[in-house]
Amino acid sequence: MAKRRPRLLPVLLVTPALVLLVLFIAAPAGYALYLSLMKVRVSGGLLGTTTTQVFAGAGNYVATFTDPEFWHSLGRMLLVAVIGVPATVILATLFALCLDANRARLTTVTRLAIFLPYAVPGVIASLLWGFLYLPATSPIGGDAINYFGGRTIFFTVANVAVWGVVGFNTVVLYTALRALPRDTCEAAQIDGASEAQIALRIKLPLIAPAIAMISLFSVIGAMQLFNEPTALRPLANAITSTWVPLMRVYSDAFVNNDIYGGAASAFTLLVMTVAATVGVRVLANRFVRRERG
Amino acid sequence: MARRPGRPAPRTAAAAAATLTAATLALAGCSSSGSSSSASSSGSHQVVHLTITDWDNGMQTVVGTWNKAHPGIQVQLIKPSGTGYTLYNKLITDNRAGTNPDISEIEYQALPEMVANKVIVPLDRYLPGLAAKYSSAALDQVRFQGAIYGVPQNICPMVFFYRQDVFSKLGLKAPATWDQYAADAAAIHKANPKQYLGNFDAADPEWFAGLAQQAGANWWTTSGDKWTVAINDAATQKVAAYWQGLVNKGVISPEPSFSTQWNTDMNKGTMVGWVSAQWAPNQLPTIAPSTAGKWQAAALPAWTAGDQAVGTWGGEAEVVTANSKHPAEAAQFVQWMNSTTQGLNLLIKNVDAFPAATFAQALPALSSPPAFMSDQPDYYALMKTIAQNVRGFQIWGPNASVTFSSYSDAFASALQNHTSFAQALNKVQTTTVNDMQKSGFQVAG
Repeated sequence: MAKRRPRLLPVLLVTPALVLLVLFIAAPAGYALYLSLMKVRVSGGLLGTTTTQVFAGAGNYVATFTDPEFWHSLGRMLLVAVIGVPATVILATLFALCLDANRARLTTVTRLAIFLPYAVPGVIASLLWGFLYLPATSPIGGDAINYFGGRTIFFTVANVAVWGVVGFNTVVLYTALRALPRDTCEAAQIDGASEAQIALRIKLPLIAPAIAMISLFSVIGAMQLFNEPTALRPLANAITSTWVPLMRVYSDAFVNNDIYGGAASAFTLLVMTVAATVGVRVLANRFVRRERG
Repeated sequence: MARRPGRPAPRTAAAAAATLTAATLALAGCSSSGSSSSASSSGSHQVVHLTITDWDNGMQTVVGTWNKAHPGIQVQLIKPSGTGYTLYNKLITDNRAGTNPDISEIEYQALPEMVANKVIVPLDRYLPGLAAKYSSAALDQVRFQGAIYGVPQNICPMVFFYRQDVFSKLGLKAPATWDQYAADAAAIHKANPKQYLGNFDAADPEWFAGLAQQAGANWWTTSGDKWTVAINDAATQKVAAYWQGLVNKGVISPEPSFSTQWNTDMNKGTMVGWVSAQWAPNQLPTIAPSTAGKWQAAALPAWTAGDQAVGTWGGEAEVVTANSKHPAEAAQFVQWMNSTTQGLNLLIKNVDAFPAATFAQALPALSSPPAFMSDQPDYYALMKTIAQNVRGFQIWGPNASVTFSSYSDAFASALQNHTSFAQALNKVQTTTVNDMQKSGFQVAG
């Protein structure tokens, strides 16, 4: 009996997290899965006031996969991600390395300035940027450049998103840099390495795990793209209600009153997000091992 | 990148589903407690508390007046977080949770959908004499399968608004036909390339539906329990082709009405006309305050000179929800507000409503124009004439929200990618029919 006690403690400690996970993630996801297999049938006269929920089988999934708009919305999301994820990671790394450089001055103020956009809610940020983009109010050449054009819109959306998250990622990397043993860098300095060489050859490989982590978060963030395009949508014709997958889910469930179709798209997206997360992790681990090896 | 990093990945589907779970739980909770108190007999000692959602400015005065006169039925005004479809979608969702207000403002085009989703209840048993106060055209908007589901508040015929100063400088008159409108649009844009006579509104399907009504379209018709959907009929195609021509020539702006860009253009005077509706003078003071006193209203241009038919853009009924525990009292309030002299006088003065009740169009409150149109003393006389020639669809579809969101997407894409409006219309038609068939409605053709 005495030997078992230590086994009980870990179980006890993970219980709260497990309960929350089941209650707020597994259970709703399960409910979404259930809904995605159902559909509604109306009967009872012209306006169909009698509604019954019936089993739909894979019908909602078939509808999702055969809807070209679903693939278009995924494509648009990927385009924003292709612009936004590298931009976030590169900028955050650059900022963090600059802040950590020996010659850097006023780092507290600069760090705060870089971090500040993260404190601005995504919707507010999108509206602020919206005013900067619109010809009527733009101080940054909105009447010369069409920020809501067929191609520019992807940069427009990615820019708002990157602006919002780069500060947080910078702080993550900067913290990782501060945690590095100082003597490594000092040794390199004594050996005659320049700041740039220290940054690229010493610091960068050492914070590779942190870079891998922010890349992962950025990819997940990209798959959840919703706030920025939704807030920018009323400003112009460039963004439709199904512009990215999450907007499509919202539009199906709460605009077109089809929670079943919405649940099917949502569940599909969930599976894709999990797959992408696992994929990025595997890639990142390899990258980290190589950098360290 | 919408979310901040650091959140667990599977939130996406979970968030949507959590809302639904909550709704189900609330529904379960409500059905057990719902039957406890249904004190619908008025005049008892108990004070009945009602809630109403209404987005119109000035409604507090109307509600306050009622509350002072009726201590037994106290009404609380709730400003909805969104208007139009934002509100209707919320009503449909909240109906499942049992948390809807007792009374709501709903535009006519959303009523069939509200009936289909059992969000609202028939009022015939509470308001037996209601039908006598309305024209059959007004009643058709709220009567479905023989039952009246709402008290019509106002009618909103489409009206053309233009900047008098700009027109007279160029020697133009209010256009009587759409051909003339096109010519004026070209003339104005030529005289000042920054100026536009108007905009094509891809964001507001009701605006386009109103224009289609004028051209004689009938998007939804029924026979028995069978629906016919004709969103891409010849009349609508004509309207679409006309506006596509203007947009392609660049003489009309593609900015949606009420967008930041459009508001600024209206206020700065680079947008000098608006194909709008009767309620515009209520909105213009906030859209274009610096242009006060420069606007004139005129009848909408016609397809053939002399044809006075117009469509509508907006127009509301007040309804009692299925969630209300006091439908009789709610119906009383709704009737007082929308079909009595006292209620309508308050609505005209505070909300700038143009009443739907037949008798009310002779009310003295309508003899002076709304504040923003004070230079046009015959404003309401013009409205009365225009309102006599309103042409509508037979009925609005039971899934009009699908049609409307499809319109916004299809036409916004057409504007963005310079593709054909006719194709966009076909897409709206297909999306609407598919959705109806998927739900199990009988659709002809």
